[in-house]
Amino acid sequence: MTVLLSALTVLGPSGTMVEPIDAEIAPGATLALIGESGSGKTLTAKSIVGLLPRGFRATGAVSVAGQDLPVTRAGDDAAWRRARGRSVSLLLQDPFTSLTPVHRCGDQIAWTIEAAQGRRLTRGARRKAVEERLAEVNLPARVADAFPHELSGGMRQRVAIAAALASDPQLLIADEPTTALDASNQAEILDLLRRIQLERRLSVILISHDLGVVRGRTDQVLVMRDGKVVERGATAAVLAAPEHPYTRALIEADPVVAARTGARIAEESADGSAEVEALLVCERVTKAFGARTVLDAVDLSIAPGAIVGIVGESGSGKSTLARCIAGLEREDAGSIVLGGAALAAGRASRTPGQMQIVFQDPYSSLNPMMSIGAILAEALGVAGREASEVPTMLEMVGLPAEFARKRPAELSGGQRQRVAIARALAPEPRLLICDESVSALDVSVQADILALLARLRDELGIAILFISHDLAVVRMIADTVTVMWDGRVVEAGPCHEVLEHPAHEYTRLLVAAAMRENAVPADGKD
Amino acid sequence: MSDIRVIGVAPVRRRRRRLPIGVAIALGVLALAVLAAAFGKLIFPDAMHQDILASTLPPGSPGHPLGTDELGRDILQMAVAGTASALVGPVIVAIGSMLLGVVMGTLAGYERGWLDTLISRWTDLLLAVPVLLAAIVVSGVMGGGYWVTVALLIVLFSPSDIRIVRAGVLEQSARPYIEAAQMLSLSRWRVMFRHILPNVTSLVVTNMMLNVAFALVAFSSLSFLGVGVAPGTADWGRQLTDGRAIMFQNPAAVFVPALLIVAVAVCVNLVGDWIGQRLSQVGEEVR
Amino acid sequence: MSIADTRARASRLRPLGRMVAVRVLGVLGVLFVLSILVFAMMYLAPGDIVKNLLGNRPTNPDVIAAVREQYRLDDPVVIQYLSWLKGFVTGDLGMSIRLQQPVADAIGDRVGITLALCLLAFVVAVISAVPLGVRSAVKAGGWVDRTGNAMSILGLSAPTFAVGLLLLYVFAYYLPIFPVYGGGDGGVDTLRHLVLPAVTLALGLGAIIVKLTRTAMLRELESDYVTFARSRGLGERLVRRIALRNAAIPIVTGASLVLTFLVGGTVLAETTYALPGLGTLLQDSVLFKDIAVVQSLTLLVAVVIAAIALIADLTYILLDPRVRRQMGAAS
Repeated sequence: MTVLLSALTVLGPSGTMVEPIDAEIAPGATLALIGESGSGKTLTAKSIVGLLPRGFRATGAVSVAGQDLPVTRAGDDAAWRRARGRSVSLLLQDPFTSLTPVHRCGDQIAWTIEAAQGRRLTRGARRKAVEERLAEVNLPARVADAFPHELSGGMRQRVAIAAALASDPQLLIADEPTTALDASNQAEILDLLRRIQLERRLSVILISHDLGVVRGRTDQVLVMRDGKVVERGATAAVLAAPEHPYTRALIEADPVVAARTGARIAEESADGSAEVEALLVCERVTKAFGARTVLDAVDLSIAPGAIVGIVGESGSGKSTLARCIAGLEREDAGSIVLGGAALAAGRASRTPGQMQIVFQDPYSSLNPMMSIGAILAEALGVAGREASEVPTMLEMVGLPAEFARKRPAELSGGQRQRVAIARALAPEPRLLICDESVSALDVSVQADILALLARLRDELGIAILFISHDLAVVRMIADTVTVMWDGRVVEAGPCHEVLEHPAHEYTRLLVAAAMRENAVPADGKD
Repeated sequence: MSDIRVIGVAPVRRRRRRLPIGVAIALGVLALAVLAAAFGKLIFPDAMHQDILASTLPPGSPGHPLGTDELGRDILQMAVAGTASALVGPVIVAIGSMLLGVVMGTLAGYERGWLDTLISRWTDLLLAVPVLLAAIVVSGVMGGGYWVTVALLIVLFSPSDIRIVRAGVLEQSARPYIEAAQMLSLSRWRVMFRHILPNVTSLVVTNMMLNVAFALVAFSSLSFLGVGVAPGTADWGRQLTDGRAIMFQNPAAVFVPALLIVAVAVCVNLVGDWIGQRLSQVGEEVR
Repeated sequence: MSIADTRARASRLRPLGRMVAVRVLGVLGVLFVLSILVFAMMYLAPGDIVKNLLGNRPTNPDVIAAVREQYRLDDPVVIQYLSWLKGFVTGDLGMSIRLQQPVADAIGDRVGITLALCLLAFVVAVISAVPLGVRSAVKAGGWVDRTGNAMSILGLSAPTFAVGLLLLYVFAYYLPIFPVYGGGDGGVDTLRHLVLPAVTLALGLGAIIVKLTRTAMLRELESDYVTFARSRGLGERLVRRIALRNAAIPIVTGASLVLTFLVGGTVLAETTYALPGLGTLLQDSVLFKDIAVVQSLTLLVAVVIAAIALIADLTYILLDPRVRRQMGAAS
């Protein structure tokens, strides 16, 4: 019943993408593949189910319970027909896109069952089988009649798990199964997977960029970088005593580890004592989209030169608050005062020198048709600064001056985010708003950008409003933190205090998620 | 430094920079057509000269390699001389409706509000009437020749351009780089024309090329129905319509202009698709 | 990203009943404005209005008085318009000066052949183009795809009448399999007369549908749910069916394009093959400046197109449970 990977290699149009991998996974055991983007972990996963993109192929062998998978025949659906589902299934990252939106969840599970059995079931048998599968993932029978969009993200991912396992495979490959979920759902899904795995004695390959996901839930780990396995071993041993410098760097950069050790990137500034006048004061800021209240009388205050974190899940209103402050969104009520002057709602009342934003997605926050130099020169221009300062701005964010000639498409995500920061700093704003600015980046890049932000704060004395869904990240850089939930501030205070003594129940959940501790076993309460 | 690595590993989709053979041929055909349009009337000034003695000669007749029509006009000469009329109108229609589309589509998509509502209702109205129907009815009932038809087609073609540009502008407006531009308090004109417009250029140009082909087909269809180009004008559509009566005596009278129309339309389509692909690659992201 | 997501969803979440009402009102508004434009046509035509309405008929005071009476030319313009519109709505479309018969009868005599032609062409186009589009997308870059692509470019580039004349020359003159001209004597004979025109029309229609289908299918086949479905061992036929069901939404949305083509194409196809349908009626009436017929036909086509577009919109709602659900939420 063991799963064996022998010299599994992935070849792409421009050479070897993944160098030979050997591994053995016992029934009921989990192998973790850890790596950042471009490490080849997803290609490895796709090669095991024969779904490599066009132009890619695999060599080597994979056997599941003594049966060889036709890994060398990627794209040959006839050859794969028997193996997929019955031997191996693949669980994808995003439950919003991995289920078809126009079919009912029950049908999507039933397809897998019928494909595995090679025959159509009667209505009654089909219904019964689907309900059993739903029960296994702690979902009520009525979910069978629901369309995916009627379910929450966590429930959707459970439907996907049920669909992936409905063919009773011996190997499940889970590719970042919780990355697209909110912190409070992540632990639940991982624990559910672990439980089912033990019950079924299922072999699992868990792919993640997140060390926290892997810790305590996997037996073996392969650390991948640039298509090579750089380190391997028992998970606990590797995480406790990494041998390869890359693994060490990954662990050091990991916000969760930092959260546990208390390591910080930014020096904690003398706590926000009320002696200095606040740079920004928001009072009772309220905003509704239609019937839905997104901000409910939110207060916030930022001292000059402080780094203030806002934490909350999607829908908590944290981004909307940032956008109201920036004037990109108009608040319905409340006041926003910057440097003693009240700002009317909307962008028209604001100047570039007051505040700037660094957005989340580095791929779309730079105009793809403009060169880096032109982007920065334009931003300098609005503050009356000369284009000749472009090299200085690039140097300030740690990029070489010749980047001015490049276009955004030639840059990596981290480099683009540096350009976005340089652009934001060009008009010399008093407040820098970072709206999930590091969320889309690899862990190691994330750490670099956080360090850059901390340095800029120290050098320029600029105040930073740092917004993230991940308390562990906020903790590394912010002096004070505000926790938002459902449009309200539920807790605020100095970072270490909130982390060590969370007062609100929701904050406790976030803290647990930040530490990647097993959350409350709140099954079925999605 | 870990930043730089990501790009090296990202799967590089190799694209051939070479000119595809089909596109090369299409460009050649179009170049010939442009030459014929420019100099056709100079080469054959007497193309429309009637010669009753040479009525309906079959292809291969001495002095008339493709034969003549019932009025004794040489098919080949007429086809060459008719190029200008066949091409100029469609090109002007495509450019005109593109300009309308860019200005109105950008305003509607970026400014939103009442302007958007107004422009969108206007396009709804025009889209409710098929182009060909409206063109037949209006230019048929009102009369009016070539240039009235050109103006009419500009108006009738514009709603689809407006919609396409508007959709593209809407999509771009939602992107963070536009909000970043707003954070710099740039003027709306600068945001629209310096930031958004370059990013919808591939859309606009591709669509314009498609419109040249559509307009060419529309013009000839109108001629075929007896509307638009006045009788006695050297024009492919007109030539084809006149040739219909003698189709069985001299098929070349119909199929030579028909072939020219189809060939030019196909070539414009091919080149348009290719330009669209090339342009959209300029800013494409290597993910 | 998720914030933007929820916001977009919130704005889309309006009660379905209202959505339908807004659509219907919008369509009525468009038709109202169009009816004014169509009505204004008789004033826009150059020359004296009575002469225009009389066409090429010899005039005498009696005839002029009859026309002035029919169009209520002595009343204010608004009254003229309203009485004309009332006539249109109640089926009293006036007299055709060319045919010397009521416009309603003229249309009634010819609507059958046009409907048969459109339906035949539409069915032929859908049956051949949708599978071709699906296959092209599934094996993108393969020979089916390249042939399909070449054909769709050709179909879009070749004017309907040019294709018609070519088919006519080959299959009616060179190889006399099908009749050359006319509408036949009804029944099977008419069907035989409709084959070539329908194929002609279907070629252009099919080109559009192939393109729509291929684009939509390509996008769906690259989506995560297809990868997930394949990884669970679902058969390729089932996977394609699932993808096509998702692709149906953008394909139906593109229906207006198809419709616009169909109307223009029908006029051309009927003229090419001299079929006695609405297309030839329109063309002859335009050339004869038979204004009553032109007005009636134009507005009639606009109404039909608006109705079909509305149906397409409602189908879209039925096809997409995300939209349908809001109907449940609203009721």
